Amino acid sequence: MNRQRRLTLAVGSLLAVTACLSQPEQIEREIAASSAEVRAARRAYDGAPPVIPHDNLGTTCAECHDERGVNVPGLGYAPAQPHNETSGVGETARCRQCHVFAVTGAQFVGNSFVGVAQAPRSGARATDGAPPTMPHRLQMRENCVACHTGPAARTDIVSEHPERENCKQCHVEVAVTRSFVPPNTAGVE
Amino acid sequence: MKRRDLLKSLAWSGAGIAAVSCRDQEEAARLVAESGDVDQRGLTWQKAPCRFCGTGCGVQVGVADGVVQAVRGDEASPVNKGLLCVKGYHLPGFLYGEDRLRYPMLRDGSNYRRISWDEALDLIASKFREALDAHGDRSVAMYGSGQWTVHDGYAASKFFRAGMGSNNVDPNARLCMASAVVGFMTQFKSDEPMGCYEDFEEGDDFILWGNNMAEMHPVLYSRILENKRKNPSVRIVDIATRRTPTTDYADMYVQFTPGSDLALANGILHLLVANGDVDEAFVRENVIFKRGNENIEEIGFGCWGPDGTSTNPADGPAERYGFGDTARNSSLEELERFLEDYSPARVSEISGVPVAQIRSLARMYGDQSRGTVSLWCMGVNQHSRGTWMNNLITDLHLLTGKISRPGSNPLSLTGQPSACGTVREVGTLAHRLPADMNVNVDAHRAIAEDIWNVPAGTINPRPGYHTMDMFRALARSDIKVMWIQVTNPWVTIPNLNRMISERPDDDDRFIIVSDIYPTPTTAMADLILPSAAWVEREGVFGNTERRTQHWNQMVPPPGEATEDAWQIIQVAKRMGYEHLFPWPEDNWHEPMYEEYREFTLGRGKDVAAYQQLRETPGMLWPVVDGKETRYRYAAGYDPYVQKSSGVHFYKAKDYGEKAAFWLRPYHRPAEVPDDEYPMWLTTGRTLEHWHTGSMTRRIPQLHQAVPQGYVEVNRADALDLGINEGSMVKVSSRRGTVDLPAMIDGRGRPPRGTVFVPFFDENRLINVLTLDAMDNLSKEPDYKKCAVRIELA
Ligand code: SF4
Repeated sequence: MNRQRRLTLAVGSLLAVTACLSQPEQIEREIAASSAEVRAARRAYDGAPPVIPHDNLGTTCAECHDERGVNVPGLGYAPAQPHNETSGVGETARCRQCHVFAVTGAQFVGNSFVGVAQAPRSGARATDGAPPTMPHRLQMRENCVACHTGPAARTDIVSEHPERENCKQCHVEVAVTRSFVPPNTAGVE
Repeated sequence: MKRRDLLKSLAWSGAGIAAVSCRDQEEAARLVAESGDVDQRGLTWQKAPCRFCGTGCGVQVGVADGVVQAVRGDEASPVNKGLLCVKGYHLPGFLYGEDRLRYPMLRDGSNYRRISWDEALDLIASKFREALDAHGDRSVAMYGSGQWTVHDGYAASKFFRAGMGSNNVDPNARLCMASAVVGFMTQFKSDEPMGCYEDFEEGDDFILWGNNMAEMHPVLYSRILENKRKNPSVRIVDIATRRTPTTDYADMYVQFTPGSDLALANGILHLLVANGDVDEAFVRENVIFKRGNENIEEIGFGCWGPDGTSTNPADGPAERYGFGDTARNSSLEELERFLEDYSPARVSEISGVPVAQIRSLARMYGDQSRGTVSLWCMGVNQHSRGTWMNNLITDLHLLTGKISRPGSNPLSLTGQPSACGTVREVGTLAHRLPADMNVNVDAHRAIAEDIWNVPAGTINPRPGYHTMDMFRALARSDIKVMWIQVTNPWVTIPNLNRMISERPDDDDRFIIVSDIYPTPTTAMADLILPSAAWVEREGVFGNTERRTQHWNQMVPPPGEATEDAWQIIQVAKRMGYEHLFPWPEDNWHEPMYEEYREFTLGRGKDVAAYQQLRETPGMLWPVVDGKETRYRYAAGYDPYVQKSSGVHFYKAKDYGEKAAFWLRPYHRPAEVPDDEYPMWLTTGRTLEHWHTGSMTRRIPQLHQAVPQGYVEVNRADALDLGINEGSMVKVSSRRGTVDLPAMIDGRGRPPRGTVFVPFFDENRLINVLTLDAMDNLSKEPDYKKCAVRIELA
């Protein structure tokens, strides 16, 4: 089965399920406006791999989450996957090694873990009008356009100039930790 | 981006589409240089190895306000280079389950009451003392773990052997990699692999023996897949008893009848000889041949007859199963005769593997132009002839000389994070001492008594109970006091119905359990001790590839929880063994480790100095002059090798510094399907849960992904029995029954006649059904093969 046909089948069967739930435009609007809360709700902490927010569609992940993202009528916009430049996470990677479906909302026992939240932040600019630095690490999200362009991008981080493909030429990564903390300097109460 | 790369990219940006001024570029560079270890969200980051599997991924742990709030893959770690699996990414959550154990709790009728640490430690000391005085050294026991840190295991071993004069200390790793230990010891007189994870980039053909690597060692499988992506000629062969996510990426899937891997390996050896693919020069220079006891009627399976050597269930459950084997010298000529029994046609008949596939495998192993890496874990180790199977896989490499070379090695994978570091290197098995030494060798005891500074004769020469006998002895009340740390035997021991399940009012046994959460094991305890976990304490783990990794304490433990090693030391001091732990309360980790390190120096097992461990993402032993060893026994890599080229198995003094090739026949499994119980049951893990799930099930994302145990059923079998996806299925063996929801064509796809059940679910205990058959040499039980019946519940 070719990719197009499988996709159509998957989407078709999905449409049958979701047709009565909501209008395509409404879903698209919700996803386009997808706020920090939606983002946070899918992650154990800022930086954790998100859980998969939809049911298993029976397709491979990459059919929709490709380099540019796919608009799936009735379901919304499947964002591009940001790892295609990550070493070890190439096209042969197993997405579900890190991203899992939730088949229940229940917990085994309660858990009081609160992960670090995404800090409201933006990159520093050396001068007015200078390109801002990147306010987050690039690890596991080397493909900038996955999150910063396209209809799935959050409005507050969408790029004004997606046509300039080489982002890293002007924007540099600053939120980097590379060295080990020297021994016994961690503050343990 | 590194500063150097930044400057490089700035150098050509003048020609780019978005030219920025020189000043902007300098400012940007300054921002890069100034970013410190506290990030913009207020987190301080430090390294630690992952708490879960034996891969030993490096993680960076983000802490603020005394709480772990995030992790990320450590890009500086050569193990994982920044990548983790879903368990690793969700590490922080395992510390914060609401039912963390916080205080020592003593059984009081059917309840528990909180007591102080002083009371708890005094009580343990007095119980041990009473048992020792009244019943001797066999009546006390410590059941430990491959999740013990090096400090925990070293403290336990020293307390038992040098303090109480008892060798009754054995870990859950007995259930996990004991067969690999005996495999390496019998062949090289030194435990642990010669290769390292660089084999994943250097190798061409990856032969997986009963190993669902995509789920069990996911980050390592990613390394192979990345190699394959860059080098399309790379091949993966999945030799297995069911299809798994690993199979999805394999170039060849070889399905064999459970237990017949012994025949398959001999079939490959047969063809290597027949095809003239024996590396004769290598064999002449580096290999000797050995043969052991092959009489099935004398060996048995450890589960029937008074001494465990019966092959007939009618002889009743075994009470004991001792150590011991006989070995004699053999030869290449004898091997050739021995292999006549393993023609492709006969092997195909035993194993169900098509002759063409046996031939392909033989060509792969025989092809000198390609690097071959054999990988295995529980499928081979948890095997009633697990040591033999370990021997046979290494034999394939010895016969072809494909060993101790980058990209050509038998690389045994471990399941637990410090199965290597703590169990195998520190020697916390019932017969072991650190650095490949054994309690029943006079010279080894003398070395240990010297380092431990105790009088000659202190260490008992008689090995203690191995795990399976330990729990049988507990059931017989031969063991009076047992301390269990960092493990959950009332979920993991096979044939659980043979374990004690009730505590009579006049029970004279006393069971102490140290853990971080309530489990079916703490439910059996008289005294429950709350332990500190992972970065709530300082520690050292050793992973599959001989990498020793250190981490600092980063957050305080909850309530009154303390680290396991501390608990042991305090009890030892109360029993009058303070001389064994003479270090100051506020600084004992480094001196204790450095004392342990003395055992390893100069013996080819040299672990790195503590300070070096702090400063690096781990070091591969042997570490000599501060340099690690990627390939053991290989000239040019291993500083112990005294040859200018090739290999030198310098640890095998008894074998003339050569490796031993063991002739090992095919034996049938202990129990095979019949009319009454017509299907194979095989058990194992699942990607999302680690071990018995006592940690991972408390992580919401992991529990929600796989909330309960299940039984994988073949679609045709399901159709025959009226079973649908999700139907409740009753699975029964001669030993017990459990109801599980069916999974059909899910991640694992067994062939007709086989079902698979993961063991993590404490509410659906599959180990009630499994058979307590074990390997005759390693005493590791076989969780992969017994006979069951299934029906709609
Ligand atoms: S569970 Fe194993 S593979 Fe996964 S992150 Fe931890 S060490 Fe790595």
